[in-house]
Amino acid sequence: MYGRRASQLLRELAACEAGQLTAFNSDTFEQVIRECNEHNLQLQSLIRKIEDANLDIQTTRNEDHFGAVIHHLSLLRNKRCLMAYMYNRAELIQSLRWKIGPVLPQEIQEKLNYSEEEYFKNHSAAIESYMSELDLDLTVDMVPPKDPYIRVKVLDDIGELCLGDHAISLTQHSLHFIKRTDAEPFISQGLMEEFLE
Amino acid sequence: MESQLGGRSEEEEVAAAMEAQTDVDLLKKAWRNEKAAPEILQFEAGLVQRAREQIQLLEETVEEFTENRSDDLVVPLYQMDLDRALFLLRSYLRIRLQKIEKYKVHISKTNLWNRLSEQEQRFAKRCIDIMEKHLDQSVLSRLPYGYQSMLKQSISSEEDDMVPEPQLNTYVFCKSKSDVGAFQLDDMGEEIVDLVADDLYVLRYNSIKGLVDGGRIDLV
Repeated sequence: MYGRRASQLLRELAACEAGQLTAFNSDTFEQVIRECNEHNLQLQSLIRKIEDANLDIQTTRNEDHFGAVIHHLSLLRNKRCLMAYMYNRAELIQSLRWKIGPVLPQEIQEKLNYSEEEYFKNHSAAIESYMSELDLDLTVDMVPPKDPYIRVKVLDDIGELCLGDHAISLTQHSLHFIKRTDAEPFISQGLMEEFLE
Repeated sequence: MESQLGGRSEEEEVAAAMEAQTDVDLLKKAWRNEKAAPEILQFEAGLVQRAREQIQLLEETVEEFTENRSDDLVVPLYQMDLDRALFLLRSYLRIRLQKIEKYKVHISKTNLWNRLSEQEQRFAKRCIDIMEKHLDQSVLSRLPYGYQSMLKQSISSEEDDMVPEPQLNTYVFCKSKSDVGAFQLDDMGEEIVDLVADDLYVLRYNSIKGLVDGGRIDLV
């Protein structure tokens, strides 16, 4: 059936858990591209057939015309599926810039195709240049702040940390009650975690 | 403004705090509206400018208090105030960027474009170029002639029929500070709602769009 393969691509997107990315399905993708070009060849040959019979292409309503329409519509459908596949993935990929940061972990990197990797880099750069024009980092503070102080657990030996007038020693597994702004850089590096009772 | 900070009397402090309160309220309102509206709203340039100035002022106040080792109870309070203001500002700008990311092409083709700040317009332009390049090299350039447009399904489409647009007829929660009175929800005049101050309504965004733009009703 025409258009089935293309819809498989979208079904794959839909079946995936929200916010999760599947590996780029280049096999099916290439097949659909090929299908598109085959539809076009058929379409062109049907149009030529109508023209060769000296019929008016605008008004003729014979079997060749309807054949051509079917190929045209199948092509459109395939195009829309391909675009929807790429576009939805691109939206997901750009949301990763907000959630993860400018560098993607290897396991996500592997799921992208070349153009998508480039897209992520360019899009990150666009966000960064907006932030530097404003001189404000928008990628921190993603959740509303509750308390200026938080309780943290140190996951790895960090050493001495100077906090205004006193220094505390951040040894592994120790618990501290410190300013959220002091803790945030360590948390995003994975050296600390918020300690919740 | 900042340079006078050292010599402030207590009264001035209080007055400044009151003023800060109202701007924070305005920012909160703008943030809530932006968060709830399906389309991008007018950029609050003056408000953002003032909020940034006040945040800077607060930062300096906190720093000063910390240096002077003043009351341990006061610093966290200021710090909390500062954190909240910063969050509001960042979140407001972030929501707008995310709307631009989603509807960039639609925004650039309509007069929504004028609602963006200069920096946002630059961001939108870049986003469009990047997306176009990406879609072009992965899909469009490999399709047959006549089917290669990003905006049209094929050469025979009369208008741009491949541009994602926000759903404006979705329902939103809204509340008005003052009585709006009888308000017509549709063009036919069949549905009329009496909007009373401080009552909560669930209406289609489409029908109250004008009131939101005019600042007569708030989204919640």
